[in-house]
Amino acid sequence: MKTDVLIIGGGPAGLSAAIETASRGLDVTIVDEASQLGGQLNQQTQTLRPLPSVYEPMRGFELAYKLIEQIKGLSVKPLLNHRVVGFYADGSAGITDEENVFPVKAKKIIVASGAAEKAVAFPKWTMPGIMTIGAAQTLINRDFVMAGREAVIVGSSDFAMETAMQLMAVGTRVKAIIEKQSEVSAIDQEKVSELSRNGIPFYFNSFIKEVRGNGQVEQIDIELPDEVITLNVDLVCMDGGRMPILDVFYQLGCSFGFQEELGGWVPQYSNTFQTDREDVFIAGNAAGISTQGPLLLTGMIAGISVSEELQAIRSAEANEMRETLWKELGLLEYKEVYSGRVKHLENFTSPILKDQFIS
Amino acid sequence: METNYETIVIGGGVVGSGIAYHLSERYKEGVLVLDKKYPMSGTSGSTQAWVWVHNKTPSWYAEFSMYSAELYPYLSKKIGDVEYKRTGGLSPFFNESDREKAEKLAESYRKIGIKIKVLSREEVLEKEPYMNPEVAGATYSSIDGNVNPFRLIDMYMRAAKRNGVRYSTYNKVTEIKKHDGKYAVVSDNGAFECKNLILAGGTWSREIGDMLGVKIPVNQLRGQILVSEPLKPFLNFTISGLRQANNGEVLMGYSMEEAGFNRATTLDVIQETANMAVQYVPGLRKAKIVRAFSGIRAMPEDGFPILGKVPGHENLYVAATHSGVTLSPLIGTLITELIMDGETSIPIDRYSLSRFG
Repeated sequence: MKTDVLIIGGGPAGLSAAIETASRGLDVTIVDEASQLGGQLNQQTQTLRPLPSVYEPMRGFELAYKLIEQIKGLSVKPLLNHRVVGFYADGSAGITDEENVFPVKAKKIIVASGAAEKAVAFPKWTMPGIMTIGAAQTLINRDFVMAGREAVIVGSSDFAMETAMQLMAVGTRVKAIIEKQSEVSAIDQEKVSELSRNGIPFYFNSFIKEVRGNGQVEQIDIELPDEVITLNVDLVCMDGGRMPILDVFYQLGCSFGFQEELGGWVPQYSNTFQTDREDVFIAGNAAGISTQGPLLLTGMIAGISVSEELQAIRSAEANEMRETLWKELGLLEYKEVYSGRVKHLENFTSPILKDQFIS
Repeated sequence: METNYETIVIGGGVVGSGIAYHLSERYKEGVLVLDKKYPMSGTSGSTQAWVWVHNKTPSWYAEFSMYSAELYPYLSKKIGDVEYKRTGGLSPFFNESDREKAEKLAESYRKIGIKIKVLSREEVLEKEPYMNPEVAGATYSSIDGNVNPFRLIDMYMRAAKRNGVRYSTYNKVTEIKKHDGKYAVVSDNGAFECKNLILAGGTWSREIGDMLGVKIPVNQLRGQILVSEPLKPFLNFTISGLRQANNGEVLMGYSMEEAGFNRATTLDVIQETANMAVQYVPGLRKAKIVRAFSGIRAMPEDGFPILGKVPGHENLYVAATHSGVTLSPLIGTLITELIMDGETSIPIDRYSLSRFG
């Protein structure tokens, strides 16, 4: 199979890259392991803001719908329930439908593989009923299954605050937010105050000492600064932050740098979102953990750069559009993340990890 | 760090560490091993680690390999458990027409005392019930087996260090000079001096030889290996192409490609390898592959080990070979004898670098 542009990952960044490329007449293939496009947007019921100026603020699943609407009628072939498992010697991607593996030869590849959640380990943390906040969100919003009746949340990021509120909205009693630092890590203080108003205690400088239960979590011990308290819960949601998913970049032989603000190890890329492999571009959380607005912008920039490389748009026009989008990125993205991204770009020619397959 | 040594070994892989350990049995001080990365990060850590004698040709090379395989049980007693298992080796064939070739191989081995049986289809399936029932037969050798390469090298290193051998790792040799009958070895972390210098650089042998103006014709060959999820123990033998490790994972791979030092894996070879594995053991079709990796192997130009003194250079020795895991106990023993006694207990003239002219 042949295609102009192979997009790996059909989440917000992959879809916005698809819109930019396919709308300029390029033939696009999107591969995604899920059964529907949209990625994490599908279980995000919260209103996303700020979004790029072309979008009104809207809920996550509405944005997914809106993005998918825009590729309708364009030459975009979604390969759902498919995964990229490796690459052939001639550079073709090896894609599996879990039965067979077949090659897809693309002129350019955009990798928008997204982020993976990190867990927080404590004694007996593998017990059923203990999951990441993303897993809890997927259960309640996508699968319409209650994740538990009485819960604690470990961590206090924006995502954790969001999930706490969504759990409450479906009737789960959130008994505590446990944070090992001395203050919340969420930037959006509004949600924090709303949770406080609902009487949910925040335990700072605290962590889970142990969990107990017969076949599933029933009770937890929380180590507070000056005492240990015990709560009865059937759900523990943990938020260890997220990190870019890098497997495909590794297989493609891309270089990496380490940027704390972007989530740790991140593939190196230039301001066109081109990696150091000239046929490979990057977009979305894979290029640094961020929020939905900025993620869409990275997908748009990558899509424009690929369109330029494949001569579907003139360079002058591409440069102008990229400049505008970068400006918007600077406005929409959390300052810390944006400055991490700028630092990361500067390291493009001096990556920490390169030529990993050369012994 | 001490800069003066009796002997320096360049390369801490299975060959270099094997030599260093065997040397340390005879003298307790004055051995330094230099490694550009860390032992096991190169060829020695990316192998199926067969200890393999049968179907090596010609028969004198098989004989040499057999002597080394025979040293393994004794080696384990000295350095500790290296998970060496003399499983026996099976090399299946699927065409009846290959039987004659197998008989000829067995006959040539018989002359030098290596016992190889040519098995019928029924005998193969009795030994290895999960083998493809369409198999025509197999050659079988009882001395073949495998070892855990990580344990092997780790145990070599521990035993060598206990005996006083020093290791300097993540330390690349950049220059070698000869003066006043000694060798000055310049590395990233300083210069060292020694009387005896042993080149055990594996895939980098050619590059290291160049530093002394010595041509060591060793090329790189890439081998790709697949690893299955852990499965219940079901394969009894080391099969040419695959084996089951102690933890249940099945290692599969027989590929050889020229790719320089590029250790990437490719789906072309991964699919070929999977097809080979499924042809041998159809049940593997249901197994999940959890990992694929490549190893760059050393391959002397004529395929045979390069061992012994470097002609025209006093106190300079070379040990560069394919099948380093199989041969390491023997090479370690022989190079030690050569340095300490000036001669070896079995002749190694055939393996001299001088054969390349």
